[in-house]
Amino acid sequence: MSDVTLATPPAPDVLPAPTQSTRGHDVNSLISMRDIWKTYQMGSEEVHALHGVSFDIPKGEYIAIIGPSGSGKSTLMNLIGCLDTPSQGEYWLNAKNVSEMDDDELARIRNQEVGFVFQTFNLLARATALHNVELPLIYGGVGSAQRHEMAKQALAAVDLADRVTHRPNELSGGQRQRVAIARALVNHPSILLADEPTGALDTHTSMEIMDLFERLHGEGNTIIVVTHEPDIAARAHRVISIRDGLIEKDEKIR
Amino acid sequence: MSADKLRSRDDDPSGRALSPVRKRSLAFFRVTALWEAFLVALGSLRQNKLRTALTLVGIVVGVAAVIAVVTIIQGLDNKVATTFSSQGSTVFSISKRPQIIRSREEFIKFNKRKDVRHEDADAVARLCSACWRVGEAANARETLKHGDQKFENVNIRGVSPTTMFDIDGRAVDAGRVWTDSEGISGREICVVGPDVLTNLFGGASADRVIGQEVRIAGRPFQIIGVLEPLGSIFGASRDSVAYIPYATYQKVYGARDSIVIFIQVPAAQQLEVAEDQVRTIMRNRRGGAFSQEDDEGFSLETQDVFLDLYGKATSNIYLVTIGVAAISLVVGGIVVMNIMLVSVTERTKEIGIRKAIGARRKDILTQFLIEAVMVTAIGGAIGVLTGFGLAYLIAALIGFPLLMSVGSAILGVGVSSVVGIVSGLWPAWRAARLDPIEALRAE
Ligand SMILES: Nc1ncnc2c1ncn2[C@@H]1O[C@H](COP(=O)(O)OP(=O)(O)OP(=O)(O)O)[C@@H](O)[C@H]1O
Ligand SMILES: [Mg+2]
Repeated sequence: MSDVTLATPPAPDVLPAPTQSTRGHDVNSLISMRDIWKTYQMGSEEVHALHGVSFDIPKGEYIAIIGPSGSGKSTLMNLIGCLDTPSQGEYWLNAKNVSEMDDDELARIRNQEVGFVFQTFNLLARATALHNVELPLIYGGVGSAQRHEMAKQALAAVDLADRVTHRPNELSGGQRQRVAIARALVNHPSILLADEPTGALDTHTSMEIMDLFERLHGEGNTIIVVTHEPDIAARAHRVISIRDGLIEKDEKIR
Repeated sequence: MSADKLRSRDDDPSGRALSPVRKRSLAFFRVTALWEAFLVALGSLRQNKLRTALTLVGIVVGVAAVIAVVTIIQGLDNKVATTFSSQGSTVFSISKRPQIIRSREEFIKFNKRKDVRHEDADAVARLCSACWRVGEAANARETLKHGDQKFENVNIRGVSPTTMFDIDGRAVDAGRVWTDSEGISGREICVVGPDVLTNLFGGASADRVIGQEVRIAGRPFQIIGVLEPLGSIFGASRDSVAYIPYATYQKVYGARDSIVIFIQVPAAQQLEVAEDQVRTIMRNRRGGAFSQEDDEGFSLETQDVFLDLYGKATSNIYLVTIGVAAISLVVGGIVVMNIMLVSVTERTKEIGIRKAIGARRKDILTQFLIEAVMVTAIGGAIGVLTGFGLAYLIAALIGFPLLMSVGSAILGVGVSSVVGIVSGLWPAWRAARLDPIEALRAE
């Protein structure tokens, strides 16, 4: 793998253990969720995708979220990634109360604090790899010279320095996902979120992607991965199991 | 509790340390995002060429119609202004009937008036101190013949004295005008417009037709002079004319026709005084009798009547054009709105991706607005060019100079851009409000 690394700030030396409580957030946590509910109105019926989820994630952790289909994993990830807002409860990210933010502020959080990797890559089909990676910088207002530099660096960090001008349909699935990861990382977000990032990839490519995640974690990134596969979950340091919209188990495995 | 939160956030060192990203001001527009929007819009229009072309049609038609009409009328305005101001503003006329009759009733009323005669012209010439030149004229339409050549519908203008040439603003190119004695004795001589040369003498030069013969109403006339060309107005040539002495005119057509007295003043400021004097003279000659209700028994007119009529006609043309243009712009706008809605639907996924990585509502909104405005502005530009082209063609066919103004070009593109904004707003707003998760689910 490449020895190019992303510039991430050094982790604070000491990470105090998060203080668990259902009320109030932990000031030392990167993420602090308190009694989060997500309710969908289906006609006259209310569907609770999440009912009362609370947890803390300190900086630098590598977490896997597992659970059966329909248990609420994606719902939770979308909330963490500020793609969605909770129906009820408090979400603190980087000591900021996300649950009270307006649309523009959420867009800014998505742009600068969160890097999201999707199962289906979600790259712009007509844009080159470079342009796809530049996109968050464009909406972040970074000037073109600096933007090119940062995007090239991010692509190099995922070993795609030689695929800069390729469009998604000129790349393999694994390469597309690496472009997506470069895009997620280019703005140096506080957290990298991946919802079944290997769901559309074969076993070999999946392992490559997971190796990449491991390396990124080693470089100081905070990572949350949703997965169905036990061997992928086993690579994380902490596993949160979800069932029927509730946390069933939350254990450190490393 | 909340105070606690605020404080803890403030003195939380990790909060800052963990957020390495530069905090950018929440500027309303980001140049980078605007440029991206511009490129995306361009790409989208390029990718859907046929669709873009179809979208443009309404706008192009609307703008082209306005530009063509505005350009033609501006050209006409210019022509009319130069034509009438060359002599018109210092000339007025006394006639039995006004030049424009609006109804049958008017026609009957004017026909009851006494004829204007040579004696009236004499009186005006004698008594009006403010008048500079006074002349009389009568007109007929006639076919001219030379050998086996025929030239139909020529304006035969019987005038007296020869100062009428000056009042009419006509100069002689070759030959001469008749002398006073030639005029009074009613000799069969004429001064012809250049069209007569082209139509009867195969375009022979002016010098070569002097002394030649033409037949007017079956009588042989000798050409003694050729006029300088004046060109045409509203498609009618003013050079298709033959001037003959008024005495000769009377011999040919009899004295039954009422004449028109033309009066010229040295400068437009004297016009009013001269008009007042002439009016008084004419009233006295009519016995001072306002016998027929409010009618003074003659018509005193300047060329303004033509200008008024022209103004009314063109403003009606403008109104119709604006109507046509408005309809096609509205239709064009609806088409643009429709296409933009399709475009938004097609690109829902793309919108979802952009929002997921930090595009704000206004970024998406401007992206689609730019696209809509780009379509309509291009349509407007094509419309402007088409309109100019059309005006050019029409002008070349009718024969008058064109006046293409930058102002109307800017207006054309500007108005169509406004149409773009108006019709793009709703689709763009729909795109901007899309929920990122739902948008990402779209295929
Ligand atoms: N927009 C929505 N409207 C109504 N119900 C929804 C909506 N989105 C999710 N749900 C419901 O919320 C629950 C959780 O869905 P979610 O997508 O989070 O599951 P998941 O754990 O990611 O499942 P999978 O492993 O299959 O991806 C499901 O029962 C789902 O039907
Ligand atoms: Mg899911």
